[in-house]
Amino acid sequence: MAHLLEIAGISKSYGSNRVLTNVHFCLGAGESVAIIGENGAGKSTFAKILTGVIRPDEGSIRLNGEAVSFHSPRDALHHGIAFIPQELAYVPHLTVAENILLGRWPSWRGITSTGVVLRRAREECRRFGIQLDVSRLMATLKLADRQIVEIVKALTRRASVIVLDEPTASLSEQESRALFEILEHLTDEGVGVIYISHRMDEVYRFSDRVAVFRNGELVASVSPAETTSEQLIAYMLGHEKEEFVQTPRRAGAIECPAVELRGWTRPGLPPLTNVSLAVGRGEILGLYGLRGSGAELVAEGLAGLRPDIQGDLILEGRAGQVFASPLAARRANVAYVPPERKREGLVLLLPIQENLMLLVLRQLSRWGVINRRHERARAAELARKFGVRYSRLSQTVGQLSGGNQQKVLLASRMAAQPRLLVLQEPTRGVDVGARVEIHRFLADIAAQGCAVLLVTSDLEEAVVVSHRLLIIRDGGIVGELAGPTKTQARAIALAAGGAA
Amino acid sequence: MTTVTPDTAQAAPSGKAPTPKRQSLLRAGFQILGIGTFYLLILVFFSLVSDNFMTYSNALNILTNVTVIGIVALGQAFAIISGGFDLSVSGTVPLGAVLFALLVNAGVSVLPAAVLVVAVGAVVGLINGLIVTKLGINPLITTLGTLSIAVGLAYTLSQGVTIPFSDPNAGVLADKTYGGVSYYVLAFALLSAAGFAVLRFTVFGRMLYAIGGNREASRLAGMRVDLVTIVVYMQCASLAAFAGVVVASQLLAGSATVGTEAALSSIAAVILGGASLTGGVGGIPGTLIGVLVLGTIANGMVLMQVPAFYQQIATGAILLLAVGFARLRGILSGEQG
Repeated sequence: MAHLLEIAGISKSYGSNRVLTNVHFCLGAGESVAIIGENGAGKSTFAKILTGVIRPDEGSIRLNGEAVSFHSPRDALHHGIAFIPQELAYVPHLTVAENILLGRWPSWRGITSTGVVLRRAREECRRFGIQLDVSRLMATLKLADRQIVEIVKALTRRASVIVLDEPTASLSEQESRALFEILEHLTDEGVGVIYISHRMDEVYRFSDRVAVFRNGELVASVSPAETTSEQLIAYMLGHEKEEFVQTPRRAGAIECPAVELRGWTRPGLPPLTNVSLAVGRGEILGLYGLRGSGAELVAEGLAGLRPDIQGDLILEGRAGQVFASPLAARRANVAYVPPERKREGLVLLLPIQENLMLLVLRQLSRWGVINRRHERARAAELARKFGVRYSRLSQTVGQLSGGNQQKVLLASRMAAQPRLLVLQEPTRGVDVGARVEIHRFLADIAAQGCAVLLVTSDLEEAVVVSHRLLIIRDGGIVGELAGPTKTQARAIALAAGGAA
Repeated sequence: MTTVTPDTAQAAPSGKAPTPKRQSLLRAGFQILGIGTFYLLILVFFSLVSDNFMTYSNALNILTNVTVIGIVALGQAFAIISGGFDLSVSGTVPLGAVLFALLVNAGVSVLPAAVLVVAVGAVVGLINGLIVTKLGINPLITTLGTLSIAVGLAYTLSQGVTIPFSDPNAGVLADKTYGGVSYYVLAFALLSAAGFAVLRFTVFGRMLYAIGGNREASRLAGMRVDLVTIVVYMQCASLAAFAGVVVASQLLAGSATVGTEAALSSIAAVILGGASLTGGVGGIPGTLIGVLVLGTIANGMVLMQVPAFYQQIATGAILLLAVGFARLRGILSGEQG
């Protein structure tokens, strides 16, 4: 079979950090390939190189036998390779038709007509067998339909390869099926489809071939019909037999739950269905799920950001409702470390000292006047305890490295001595050293009797740091791993919905 | 296993921390130093070109002239630091002046009348705050609307004419002096000191910087962001109403035409003083210097007998120069936004 796309010896490094090593990859016309791999395995970098978002250090790309090199996503699209990212780029206040033909509206001497634009867009949709009301405003569409608009947009530019980055992460079951029907139709027409996925069921349902990435290398390229999901997971994790990691925890502390959630339910996307869990004093409970699993809703509910969740919250034996506001969560002594430290966690313009004391200003003040000496002393102590490296406490937090910022954020939440600490992606975007330190702090925090709920999509972190690990998929808890069963392979098998 | 994102790429060379002490000190103080130096240059310039400039009486003159805008700017500084701003002060000042004149002429004595006017200002601020926080309409639109309403009310109440005081006691703030300094200048000084202390030493002040610097993080940290915002708008409008009282006692009359430049001048002064319209930075010392810069230029140009129209041009040019210079320095040192 003549290859539509041929990639030879692609490598990419950021500084000394190698993210892709000598990747060879082919795609035939009408073929669909699923790309799987852990976070940081190089999947996204690979997709970005294919679509001109970033340029490789070495290697070549051939399209229809011709050597090409892309300078930009626009350039790649011009050659017929389209990228549908997770964060879609569209103009919300224009109609679907105008978005489909964005920047290429049919016109006569600069004058364009709404009617002609609508007609052209409708023709394009019909040609690819896609049903869409093209006269609607983009902003009124559901996410799934907006994604389809992006695909049509790419097809009208004569794309022969479509690359999708986790297209189903935020879609319902039904919407995913509809999307795959469209993609199947396209492969029948000879379009090549590459999609990054985490979900085993999709891989088996749709792809002709599975490419597995690990540590920047393409370690396997196999047909799903001839491979079991256990084998695929083994390729992803790299070790056939995994060592069981015993995470030590303080004895006897677990039996009194500090916090218990009962029957948390929320309609909508992602949904939550009857999620119940309990975190004991001195325990680190992990909650692991893929994107779109609803894991973040549990964390946000405990932070007071999701008053729409139905269900009970039992704190030290006292039953109540889900928190109505972040203030309510703080009053209940629940601390929350949000996933985006720069946007949601820290005030970058303020000094380290003031960020550390943000939650405990009242304790430091009398009649509303802050005792600055007291503040300084407490901030210095806290910064030392959490190993924040700084030159002066009056330095702004914006000047610190990602790892140090994250430590400041964690320390600021611990300043209030919470009974429950909820963390979301606590080591995202921090260096390896800071990651190890933060994991050690979490163990210390638990050892001192605080309950810790760790919500993460980082598989290794989930398995290694937590004492007990819950797996969530499609808004429901699908398994609990503890002791010898707590392995990466089992965790991902449960989360990805393969035969576990 | 680490995910490589641009963030970690940047975070990696964290070992080389910026030069200790100086960096943060400079960053905090530079804008004030810059505008302070600029102010000194202005003083030198005018004292060279005009003999009457560097005199005690002219200094008092400048202070007297900046008091109204200065009081408004104090409130404006709070609003801007917390990430908003208030255009409606241009309506609250004349509304305050007219109300004060009407109340005093109706027989209310000076102090209760002033208190009532400030309370009306607080109501205007409450409306601003509620619209901004609860309806989520941005401060530009909100305060533009209330500006128009307040000015309209001032015209309606005064029926479009200047209302002279029937009771000469109403000029008490302007007449009484302490060592040659009139009471309202003293009031301005006291309010400035209070504003400085609130911003620097209190929980409320700290919350303003946090909310202006990162509203979402402040909310997640359990601060009552909406309440604080409402209080800020109330305080800003109250000060503007008080400025109306001051201007009325200066002129010994209330009129709907006074103080209409309050919004632009006060915002200009706060920004000159090192604040940013995106919030989170700024302070009272800088604001005061900003106020003085604007007032001194106006005064110096009068002494040089420059026509009044040119003053406006000069004020605008100076604002752009000062802010542009600060931004340029930021760009050169590789800062974002």
